[in-house]
Amino acid sequence: MPLPGSGLAKGLAVTLRTMTRKSVTARYPDTQPELPPRSRGVIALFEENCTVCMLCARECPDWCIYIDSHKETSPPAAPGGRERSRNVLDRFAIDFALCMYCGICIEVCPFDALFWSPEFEYAETDILDLTHERDKLRDWMWTVPAPPPLDPAAEEPKEIAAARKAAEKQAAQAQAQAEAEKQARPGDAEGGTGEGEA
Amino acid sequence: MNDTLHVVLRLVAVLVAFLVLPLLVGQTEHKVMAHMQGRLGPMYAGGFHGWAQLVADGVKFAQKEDVVPADADRRIFQLAPAVALLPYLLVLIVIPVGPHGFVGEAVDAGLFFVLAVMGVGVLGSLMAGWASANKFSLLGGLRTAAQLMAYELPMLLAAASVAMAAGTLSLPGIVESYHWWWTLWQLMGGLVFFTAGLAELQRPPFDMPVADSEIIFGAYTEYTGLRFALFLLAEYAGIVVLCGLTTVLFLGGWHGPWAGSVGWLWTLLKTAVLAFIVIWLRVSYPRLREDQLMKFAWTVLIPISLVQIALTGVVKVVTS
Amino acid sequence: MIHSATHHPGFLSPTGVEITFLLVGLATLGAAVVTVTTRQLVHAALWLVVALGGIAVEYLLLTAEFIAWVQVLIYVGSVVVLLLFGLMLTKAPIGHSPDADSENRWVALAVALAAAGTLVWVVADAFRSTWIDVHHGTGQSATKVTGSSLFRFWVLPFEALSVLLLAALVGAIVLSRRRADVLPPAPDGSTAPHGKDR
Ligand code: SF4
Ligand code: SF4
Repeated sequence: MPLPGSGLAKGLAVTLRTMTRKSVTARYPDTQPELPPRSRGVIALFEENCTVCMLCARECPDWCIYIDSHKETSPPAAPGGRERSRNVLDRFAIDFALCMYCGICIEVCPFDALFWSPEFEYAETDILDLTHERDKLRDWMWTVPAPPPLDPAAEEPKEIAAARKAAEKQAAQAQAQAEAEKQARPGDAEGGTGEGEA
Repeated sequence: MNDTLHVVLRLVAVLVAFLVLPLLVGQTEHKVMAHMQGRLGPMYAGGFHGWAQLVADGVKFAQKEDVVPADADRRIFQLAPAVALLPYLLVLIVIPVGPHGFVGEAVDAGLFFVLAVMGVGVLGSLMAGWASANKFSLLGGLRTAAQLMAYELPMLLAAASVAMAAGTLSLPGIVESYHWWWTLWQLMGGLVFFTAGLAELQRPPFDMPVADSEIIFGAYTEYTGLRFALFLLAEYAGIVVLCGLTTVLFLGGWHGPWAGSVGWLWTLLKTAVLAFIVIWLRVSYPRLREDQLMKFAWTVLIPISLVQIALTGVVKVVTS
Repeated sequence: MIHSATHHPGFLSPTGVEITFLLVGLATLGAAVVTVTTRQLVHAALWLVVALGGIAVEYLLLTAEFIAWVQVLIYVGSVVVLLLFGLMLTKAPIGHSPDADSENRWVALAVALAAAGTLVWVVADAFRSTWIDVHHGTGQSATKVTGSSLFRFWVLPFEALSVLLLAALVGAIVLSRRRADVLPPAPDGSTAPHGKDR
């Protein structure tokens, strides 16, 4: 049985020990915090990728993405064909006073037009200024870091796997073709090696 | 004329101590508590490690609006902080700091003076609790009163034990008749006195009357601005007074090497160590529940202090 | 401290102490009157503090330092706290208490006057010829004198009082115990709540 009161002494010891250790306070304005990759600071818009599909605006639980666009038509590629139409972005704004940083918009964008940026120092004195318009959202793009490297044992990303498969297929095809050619003209090949030996 | 000047000078010195020491304790609490919790505490006010944090706090409090609730009993509500604070100033006057009359004003029955006046301070909390017209304040006031009644007795008994040992009620007299082995002899009494004092100051772990998770801030819930600051100042002045008294009664005040010349330093040092312990206890222990509080006072502290009195009496009779 | 009257200072030669004594006495009396006439219960308790404090100051002026501090300690520090505790428990309202008047004020006045008259007469009769020298009282002796007279001449009343208090204490405990017997904790609701079987 432990000594009566030993728990009390233990409590005192714990606090005293903590006092002698270095404190863990992050001294934020003096030293910048070391943010983990994928920090959710602000949302950046890569405007060039956006097709104004409106998926992000519709999925946003807060309805804080505002998109305006208009349709433009371009003349048909071949005479007599149908006119091409495409959406042109007029306004893209995110109200960060409403945004809850759930990241749904970024997940849902099928064209990789939205990104997380770790930048977080955009407090304003007027709440209206928290609605970031298109230019500002585009500017945040410059602060988006390169995607972090994969974990060592991670599965290969789909697109890379697909590209690799395609490349392997091509290579195999090319090799098979070369093989076939070699068998069709064996003399050439031997002459080539013979020259090399001489 | 010279006499008057002397007295005035002493009183001014006490006043300065009264204004500075609680702030020192408060600042120490900020920093010590922070580091015990792995934090840094205030770092900006004043530049070097936030030394002026409490000054900044004072400025902030002074700027705030002084609100008196509409249903409150105005007079009593406004009077309460003064009633809570002034007694500690009076007590500080009679606490001896060094030998040869290094004291604000020596009072003959000093021990009783101190205990009596400290008891008056609690009236401030009761007045505040009742006059705020707020149920949380009222509950806080009730708890304060219950706690005071439970802990006043062991504190008195412990103090009486020292008075018996020293054969005098005057505080400088008690320190003068101190020997080093008294600390062991009066150890139980000292612990009881210190603990009961903590409870009277409503310091954690005995802070049931101001338990913020239950009754917001007890009797002080409705206070704002300077009046609120006065209550806080009273709490820290109370710490200074309690630690000073414990030093004087149980730890031998100015006794120590070279007591003749640097005796006052010893008193201050011992007081500071005790104040550190007060803060340390606050950080380490959770709050006692109300029934635990009462049980602790009546079934632990009072019996111990009675045993201490018996022990003091026996030793006194045997040695004399 | 208490000299027998070897030399009488003039009965009506007002010194500073005497004037102060009188003024404090008047203030105390005023506070006492307000205590019994105010219509607000808690104010009455607080005025009682003032009255008791005034009496303590009177003791001080008579150089009975020890008695003064004990007065503050016991009456202001404990009895009034107890009073306030009771008042708060019964939810004393802020403002007038309509039922705070027992309609007995004339009887009360008569009793008060009679008690005051008796006390003044007894005290004046007992101490007619003693004179307290307030100027040469050294503090040290005050406590000693009180102690020795208490335990030398007044030991019997002192002990009788403590027995009385003890009896009150035991009585209080017995009373609170009996209540617990009469009203047993309700046994899970099946039996009659009024304890008929007793
Ligand atoms: S992060 Fe969530 S809340 Fe913010 S804009 Fe995107 S979908 Fe809306
Ligand atoms: S989901 Fe992506 S592509 Fe579609 S509108 Fe939003 S940002 Fe543009």
